[in-house]
Amino acid sequence: MSVKDDLIASISSLPTVPIMANRLVLLLNDPDARPDDVSRVIQYDPALTANVLKAANSSYLGFTQPVTSLTEATVRLGTNWVFQIAVSSLIYSNLKRPAPGYGMSAEETWRHSMAVGIMAEALRDQLRLTGVATIFTAALLHDIGKIPLGEFVRDSFPALQELVTTGDASFEEAEQAILGVDHAEIGAMIAEHWRFPEAIADCIRWHHDPEKAPVITPALDLVHAADAMCIMEGLGLGRDDLHYRLCEASFERLHLSQEATERAVSRTIIELENIKETFANAPAVGAGR
Amino acid sequence: MSLLVVGISDLKTSGDPSDVLITYSLGSCIGATAYDPVARVGGMIHYMLPLSQISPDKAAMRPAMFADTGVPALLSELLAMGAAKNRLIIKAVGGAQLMDHHKLFNIGERNFLILRKILWKNNMLIKASDVGGLISRTLRLELDTGRVTVKTSQGENEL
Repeated sequence: MSVKDDLIASISSLPTVPIMANRLVLLLNDPDARPDDVSRVIQYDPALTANVLKAANSSYLGFTQPVTSLTEATVRLGTNWVFQIAVSSLIYSNLKRPAPGYGMSAEETWRHSMAVGIMAEALRDQLRLTGVATIFTAALLHDIGKIPLGEFVRDSFPALQELVTTGDASFEEAEQAILGVDHAEIGAMIAEHWRFPEAIADCIRWHHDPEKAPVITPALDLVHAADAMCIMEGLGLGRDDLHYRLCEASFERLHLSQEATERAVSRTIIELENIKETFANAPAVGAGR
Repeated sequence: MSLLVVGISDLKTSGDPSDVLITYSLGSCIGATAYDPVARVGGMIHYMLPLSQISPDKAAMRPAMFADTGVPALLSELLAMGAAKNRLIIKAVGGAQLMDHHKLFNIGERNFLILRKILWKNNMLIKASDVGGLISRTLRLELDTGRVTVKTSQGENEL
């Protein structure tokens, strides 16, 4: 059996991601949905509600009056913000896992995922693009394929490293050459297994090489740009180091200036530290459902 | 020995010879050390971006995020601890980049260039450096000797 077949078999036995994450994504993508629909869905999960309120009351946001309800959180912080905290909480237990061959601890994997989510949101804000549900969720999940692929990367690491250091291959190209599959491909399969919309799986599939995507969307370019900036700035680096390509065309299509990009970087590092409070010792919301 | 970890957008100084300063995951960021062998005080910064003008509010919150606010802050803290400008030994690593043929976002290079400019204005030079490439680095400064080491996936070397 090839590495790919092995992984496909293991994906089908993965636990499903909480159904509520998909519901929230669909809801936010629905143009007819009302702002309070998101909190109406969340309110049925007490642990999730508690986590959103904890985040809303973190010292960083600096409200003098505590936020006591989801409706209040939505009014003060916006539907997008509530959505992002809720989806991060729901996916937390699936993402906070080590990726052994990449030399990444569970902590580092989670940190990189959150960093790219926050960076994508910071860039999206600068560009005033819509589509937060797809962009944020795809950014959060973009490297999920590294978790199952990690053990194969570990076994073949010397060969992978030789290819990236002596040749002109990027790390995921080396994965494809040596293992017959790369972490972006596996990540997209996981997103499909979890029944996330196709647009999210497509962003994950092509996040290192947007030019190869059958359809290039702003969401894909954003996820690529956010990941590239986080790798560059050392927000969750593994043994694959900086051996990835930066797709200049993505930055050009988004009209992302150096200044706008750097401003997003500065916002990300501050928000990343503050979000740590929310997820420090967080219970696994929705695990096993 | 205490190991003092310098985070991203952070700087730390020490006059305790048993301390070791360390910073991890330097990509395009720059990690710089400054050490006075006579006063035996030293410090380290891990900054992300060259110029604070893009976000003055963030620079006010975290001066060590930017070279132009962080490096002067590091130097003045060391001078206040008894270091002398002409004795400070400066070493710098990082400034890596992604595979980007046109160097569209050459944050790493600009990060290193601005450091040299700031030091030049202060009549100071970089004694040793290890910058560029596609690798991430870990930087370490031992306060008792001023020994600086840099660790990558290829191994560990003294700088």
